[in-house]
Amino acid sequence: MKIPFFAFFFFFFINFSFAQKAEYAFTTIADSLKENANAVVRLDQMDINIASQRSMNIKTQRVVTVLNEKGLNNIDAYQHYDKSLGVKSIEATVYDISGKEIKKIKRKDFKDQSAVNGSTLFSDSRVLYLDYTPITYPFTIIYTSEIESSSTAFIPRWYFLGDYNVSVEKCILNVSYLNDLGFKKKEFSFSGFNIKKTVDSDTKLSYAALNILARRVEDYSPSTDDLFPKVMMGLEKFHLEGVDGTATTWEAFGKWYGEKILTGTTTLPEETKVKIKALVGDEKDPIKKAKIIYDYVQKKSRYVNIAVGIGGWKPMLASDVDRLGYGDCKALSNYTKALLQVVDVPSYNTILYGDRYKSNIQSDFVSMQGNHMILAIPNGSHYTWLECTSQDDPFGYQGIFTDDRDVLIIKPEGGEIVRTKLYEDNGNTQKDTGTYTLDEKGNFSGSISIVSGGSQYSSKARLENLQPTEKESHYKEYWSNINNLKLGKISFTNNKENIQFTEDVQVNAVDYAKITGNKMIFNVDAFNQSSANVKRVRNRKNPFQIQRGYLDTDEIEINLPTGFTIEFLPSNVELKGKFGEYKTEIIKKENNKLTYKRSMFLNKGNYSNKEYDEYRLFMEQVSRNDNAKIILTKN
Amino acid sequence: MKIIKLFSLSILLLFISKVTGQEFKLGKVSIAELEQKVHPKDSSAAAAILYKKGKTRIEYDQNDGFITITEVETRIKIYKKEGYDWANQNVWYYNQAGFKEKVSFSDAVTYNLVNGKIEKTKLKSDGAFDEVVNKFRGQKKITMPNVKEGSVIEFSYIVRSPSDRIIRDWDFQTSIPVNYSEFSTFVPEYYVFNSRQKGYIFPKITTVKNPKSIVFTNKERSGGGWGNTQTTFSTDKLDYSETQTNYVAVDFPAMKDEAYVNNIDNYTSSIQHELSMTKYPNSQIKMYSTDWNSVVKTIYEYDDFGPELNKTGYFEDDLKKILEGKNTADEKILVILNHVKSNVKWNDYTGYSCDNGVKKAYKEKTGNIADINLMLTAMLRYAGLTANPVLVSTRSNGISIFPNRTAFNYVIAAVETPNGNVLLDASDKFSTPNVLPFRALNWSGRLIRKDGSSEEVDLMPKKASNDIVFMNYSIDAEGKVTGKTRRQCTDYNAMITRDNLNGLKEEEYLEKLENRNKKIEITDYSRKNEKELLLPTIETYSFTGNNLCEVIGGKIYVNPMLFFTNEKNPFKQDVREYPVDFGFPFTDKYNITLQIPDGFVAEVLPEPVVMNMEDNLGSFKFIIATTENMLQINIQHQINEAIVSTEKYEMLKEYYKSMIAKETEKIVLKRI
Repeated sequence: MKIPFFAFFFFFFINFSFAQKAEYAFTTIADSLKENANAVVRLDQMDINIASQRSMNIKTQRVVTVLNEKGLNNIDAYQHYDKSLGVKSIEATVYDISGKEIKKIKRKDFKDQSAVNGSTLFSDSRVLYLDYTPITYPFTIIYTSEIESSSTAFIPRWYFLGDYNVSVEKCILNVSYLNDLGFKKKEFSFSGFNIKKTVDSDTKLSYAALNILARRVEDYSPSTDDLFPKVMMGLEKFHLEGVDGTATTWEAFGKWYGEKILTGTTTLPEETKVKIKALVGDEKDPIKKAKIIYDYVQKKSRYVNIAVGIGGWKPMLASDVDRLGYGDCKALSNYTKALLQVVDVPSYNTILYGDRYKSNIQSDFVSMQGNHMILAIPNGSHYTWLECTSQDDPFGYQGIFTDDRDVLIIKPEGGEIVRTKLYEDNGNTQKDTGTYTLDEKGNFSGSISIVSGGSQYSSKARLENLQPTEKESHYKEYWSNINNLKLGKISFTNNKENIQFTEDVQVNAVDYAKITGNKMIFNVDAFNQSSANVKRVRNRKNPFQIQRGYLDTDEIEINLPTGFTIEFLPSNVELKGKFGEYKTEIIKKENNKLTYKRSMFLNKGNYSNKEYDEYRLFMEQVSRNDNAKIILTKN
Repeated sequence: MKIIKLFSLSILLLFISKVTGQEFKLGKVSIAELEQKVHPKDSSAAAAILYKKGKTRIEYDQNDGFITITEVETRIKIYKKEGYDWANQNVWYYNQAGFKEKVSFSDAVTYNLVNGKIEKTKLKSDGAFDEVVNKFRGQKKITMPNVKEGSVIEFSYIVRSPSDRIIRDWDFQTSIPVNYSEFSTFVPEYYVFNSRQKGYIFPKITTVKNPKSIVFTNKERSGGGWGNTQTTFSTDKLDYSETQTNYVAVDFPAMKDEAYVNNIDNYTSSIQHELSMTKYPNSQIKMYSTDWNSVVKTIYEYDDFGPELNKTGYFEDDLKKILEGKNTADEKILVILNHVKSNVKWNDYTGYSCDNGVKKAYKEKTGNIADINLMLTAMLRYAGLTANPVLVSTRSNGISIFPNRTAFNYVIAAVETPNGNVLLDASDKFSTPNVLPFRALNWSGRLIRKDGSSEEVDLMPKKASNDIVFMNYSIDAEGKVTGKTRRQCTDYNAMITRDNLNGLKEEEYLEKLENRNKKIEITDYSRKNEKELLLPTIETYSFTGNNLCEVIGGKIYVNPMLFFTNEKNPFKQDVREYPVDFGFPFTDKYNITLQIPDGFVAEVLPEPVVMNMEDNLGSFKFIIATTENMLQINIQHQINEAIVSTEKYEMLKEYYKSMIAKETEKIVLKRI
């Protein structure tokens, strides 16, 4: 009796496994999903089970058909792990175009590597990853993994669409959790996508999405994080590296953070306190005191990131930073705070996303967020912000890494969401004053003073730290419109008080003007050509944005060669529109002299996909006019 | 005892008098060093190596036999914040089953000058880390405490390696100035190492022989009965001589990277060692690498090299099929190359020894460079061709100049034909006979024959790769340009074109092409021979453009080459330290027909010009002819050498300057 039963079971198994293979054959992919795609995600499923405040289990299943070499990046067969997050299983199987199995990859065949990146000196975080060499395209990989974590402070964000040039056939998220942990979620950018919430109860949440088409990369787009649908999740009662936490309101979260993570980290040796008090002396004004201390920290410390255990979240002790002279953003912010305390200046640890791309702490979603820490000092009705990892930044300057975004400040009474400083478009200035002379052979010699302020300050001030060869290549790149450029004296003045960086540069170049027959032709705007190369995009889909505007003004005196008369001068131009204003003017003076004036103002803003071509044409007009030529004829 | 003391004292005295005031000893940081604000010879230096001393000894260990100990001590001055990275140090080590090295740091101290006094801060365990990088390697890291502008840091480390045949490379130069760098090797007479110096400046070398001895302790058991054993110890002494070689570099400048350099490491002053021979007492001399022939012979005898060439069984059936009806050498080469290319994919690992082995690689359809190209060689031989492997060093690996096994990291195949060698590499999709992937184009390689003999093979392409453009266009009175173009590329230019096309949809490719070419609008695009690798790639399209010429004061100004104009001189540097590497010789030709709009005539035309560089390095021609309402322009730019030496840099830069001046000269059209 037993034999038939076995046989039946055996057959069933065979059938089942055969069916599974066929399911992922290349031919079953809809044509619309192949459009613009380097890879097609056949199934992306995550099952998150939060069994308690201190235990989270995540099962991942990803089936990806890779269409070409570029699609290899979308297999995403890797898993980070550390002391609080263990990998229970990880494996992959490769199938050919028809769904026939060609290779099995076991855990031991995954590469196991330390996950230390460029800015980190040491971390106990590691990564297991798949390194597979495809034999032919397309092929399909089924990747599965299971992890167990004691930390529940970070529930992975769920992205229905992970990247450009990838389409998704089916995407499933299942979360189950205990009723009393205070599970919460927030949905982003769902509109226009076929996403269904299939379960939403006290203990379970599920989503399913079908047939998400591949999108193409388009310049000036918002980041995919703001563009593609995602779900953020969190617990009101969570656990982080041995510490239980609460996140009901920002106030409570901030209190928890202050009490459990920051407490006891700001003690300093007596000797240091005495030294700091002496340094500050009789100064009474808190901001002036802070300036002295910021300067002290900048000279004393350097940035070194060591992320071990809770050290990834808890700042190093201020006394250690005092002794060692290094630390990461948390350590250095906290150390500065400790020094400020000594002279009775209050300051608050501030958690945020540090990035060129402006990105907010989600103010209506109380949870562990952010990747960076700075310091906030109350200054009347606003705050002065200190970037403590920089040895160069002027006091209170936020440049382009922490400006204009929602951040969380940790006050003793609790957390609070605040907006950081916005650098107004017309304050992001570059003012050029200069002169150039052309000789009768078309050779060029000139000098210019470039003064940069606002957010433009930050990209210029770094020039000070460059090696001579790097400086040379910077200017040869910046003035790549001038062939055969030779640099003369270069000097810089860095006025940190007023946030102004001045470059004084002498340049010359042979053959700047083209001589054709008895004509000499040259580009009037030698020093400040608009660099924006706004590409043509066929059928743009994404909206576009300009995150920071600017205002450039130039006034250049031009000495024309003797023995020539002006055959043609470009006319004055004025362009005005929603994107900005552009104006040029050429004034004829006596003795073969001209004055060229130019101003370019660009607005920041968010615009629709339809407006992109308008912007492109505006910038094209600017760039064409920046290329306007003067023609001289030999007498 | 007294004698010994006296002796050691005299050694000490000798040593002190030898260094004459320079305190190249840990712990002896001077106030002058701390006070120094800028490097005396390089004011832009962010930091400098004040001194660095390394010793590598091959020593006898009672348990492990001969092992290698490397001791390094370093003193670094930090002048500026940009030099703070020098306060973080790391040393990697082998950490795999059966081969574990040990690294330990010590004497790590930061020195600062505080109120005229020297303040020492020692590195503690909280600044030292041990990282498991992967299953082969580990890394010890330190980050120095209390580092400021002006600090001096010191540290030393020891690497203990169980091997008796690996001496780590020593660089005398780096990205900051090196005031003093000394490296010494201590090698017992049983070993002979080849040393290989690189760079543009060299350290001074001295050699001495030291007498050494090994004391073996032998344990002997006697008695033999039950419970009555006796253990006696006896010692043997073996005298041998040791060669001590010292390399001393004083005041070596910082290395500065330049554009268009093949690989900056090729020019860094450094010393590499490789075992060439062992001659243990009472055993045969074993040769490794003394000259190219023995290097090559050694490699050939490796299990994962030579023997892999002799295996044929795994492919014979397949090969018989594809070789059917193929008679000439060219035919055979092509079908075999294509067979390997389409059946075995490169896994991105280089190396001249097989990873999977040819058989497994063939079965699993993936392998490293050796798996692929040794398999290719074996198949070519099977087909009756004189095929041999050629050892190569890739561009990223540097240039092999001295006989050395580690000089190579790559292998290709060569077929000897009456017309010379045909070089082949089956690891690259677009590679064809004598068109190797760029990574393998690195001066010369070493061909190995079956009998173990070898010869140098020039890898650099001799044949010019063509880029031929036909273009005709018309301009209307508003300056709008409408035209057609046909571009044909051969050899390396074809390979580059195929690389650009690879994996891109036509729409994406055209968008790129449009944006790269002054935002022209392209229609009627077609291409030929994308897959026919032996034929030139041909692209044809129609275009219109509004930005291609200027209408100024009613006159039309136009660069005849439109978007093909070379507008910028790639050679911007005033002084060139290293050769210019074009990769391959080339000829660019443009045949342009310009239709003058009705009612216009040419007012100004560029003069024709012919330029030739010395030594036939290259030439430029610009020829222009008028017929009624048409202009016929022929331009040719040709570089005949793949690599141009620094002496010719000035000439090359001038050539480009004049060429660009000519190409950017405008044609002026005016109304009649």
